[in-house]
Amino acid sequence: MRNLWALTLREWKAFWYSPIAYVVGTVFLLLQGFVFWFLMNVLNDPRVDPSFNMSQLFFGTVWYWFSILVMAPLLTMRTFSEEKRTGSIEILLSAPVTEWQVVLSKFLGAWLSYCTFWLATGIYFLVLRRYTPIDWAPVLTGYGCTALLGAVFIAFGVWASSLTRNQIIAGFVTFVLILLLFSMGLLTIFLTGPESKKAMQYISMLDHIRDFSKGILDTRPIVFYLSLTVAALVLTIRTIASPRWRS
Amino acid sequence: MTAPAIQTRDLTKRYEATTALDRVSFEVQPGEIMGFLGPNGAGKTTAMRILTGMLSPTSGTAQIEGLDVETESLATRRRLGYLPENISLYPELRVEEFLAYRAAIKGVPGHQRRARVTESVERCSLGDVRRKLIGRLSKGYRQRVGLADGLIGHPSILILDEPTVGLDPHQIRQTRELIKELGKNTTILLSTHILPEVEMLCHRVTIISRGRIVAVDTPDNLRRRLTGSGAFRVELKGDTAAAQQALSQLPGVANVHRRDEAGGFTLFGLEAQGGTDVREAIFRLAVERHWTLRELAKDQASLEDVFIQLTTKESE
Repeated sequence: MRNLWALTLREWKAFWYSPIAYVVGTVFLLLQGFVFWFLMNVLNDPRVDPSFNMSQLFFGTVWYWFSILVMAPLLTMRTFSEEKRTGSIEILLSAPVTEWQVVLSKFLGAWLSYCTFWLATGIYFLVLRRYTPIDWAPVLTGYGCTALLGAVFIAFGVWASSLTRNQIIAGFVTFVLILLLFSMGLLTIFLTGPESKKAMQYISMLDHIRDFSKGILDTRPIVFYLSLTVAALVLTIRTIASPRWRS
Repeated sequence: MTAPAIQTRDLTKRYEATTALDRVSFEVQPGEIMGFLGPNGAGKTTAMRILTGMLSPTSGTAQIEGLDVETESLATRRRLGYLPENISLYPELRVEEFLAYRAAIKGVPGHQRRARVTESVERCSLGDVRRKLIGRLSKGYRQRVGLADGLIGHPSILILDEPTVGLDPHQIRQTRELIKELGKNTTILLSTHILPEVEMLCHRVTIISRGRIVAVDTPDNLRRRLTGSGAFRVELKGDTAAAQQALSQLPGVANVHRRDEAGGFTLFGLEAQGGTDVREAIFRLAVERHWTLRELAKDQASLEDVFIQLTTKESE
């Protein structure tokens, strides 16, 4: 446990000591600031039905997906690629740490950074609270779903990073992988059979975030996301344990 | 009887086309400084990476203090400090920050870490750069940070892969002194392709060439065995006794022995002194005496060949 903590702290620091953190942070907060401004305009429009759920305008928008899909590769592309390229992986793996500690720490470091960015947007809701009553449940479930989604995307990003020593390739592969994962949910549009539609809805991230931002807490997507995360991390552990990877 | 600090048995590592290590067996006794000497590409780094758990061998076993490096990897890694060749550290961290992190993952308890960092910093003379970013340090300093990292977990064995490569002469001297100092209470396996380094630091030397162990001895004995000697093989048809007599009288030849006989040909082994190449003399003798010569060669991969490669490397 102590090892895991020390390793995670190092990953966390490595990210915040890098210029990527500030570039990503700035772009992310600008985007979310725009979303907030947009949300304020909608709320101020007298034609809008006051009973609608405002957190839907925050979670699940185009900008929301854009920022998650772009942020995950940027946060994870260096995790293994960089250490493999520079060779520092050698001192990491010759230390008395297990492979799962190494992988989990890289995942946690990136995921905690991701959560930090999102937590910063909590300010918007605190500001809003001064002007309008807020139903906190949908906000919290919205953040919860965002954290889970991020876990999936970041786990896949860490895996992609373990596959190459080139950060750009790692980032791009991550982007394509998570875009595919996200797009699978869109296939529901083309399906006509009620059974197959139901099955696809189970993996449709768009539907999940819509439910969560309404305050609906469904355990099925939670299980789905957690299993995907674990699967990607297990793949990463297998990758770095393989003799080919180490030679 | 305590277990050897390091022991390998028939350690073999094969890649698709090449054999990096071929049945390598050696032992390092506790407290010893063992030199691992060989030209570049001989398999030194491969062997060290197997010992540190970075690579797994194709076959054979390696043990650290009696524990297998594969099945008890974590326990063996706890006993080791490792300085890789061309060490790469985290450039964004400060020296003391990095060492504290390394102490943590090597299991040094929290309340001892500060003291341990200070101790390592002092032993490796890093006091001036303690608070500097690793990325800003010169190669020599980075090497010493790597060494400080190796020491920080108080390992009983240090594995140093070419610790003086790429350093300037002043830094080389400092590093060698430090290694000598460390060797007083730590077992050290040190790889190098520089012969004088071995003579300066090591109690014993393992010479490795093309993945095989060529010799294991003390530096003094090796020098004695090596000075100017060379081995040749001659296979000829003629009066065996007379041939042996004539060959041994050639200038520079120290010893002639019969190795094999087949189809009227006799295979002789020759040892020459003073680095003389006796092949030309043998050829002339054969012509003069009307011997049929079937083979005349210098014994390849001899200790001497390795030695020549090593001694010429120091000047580069």
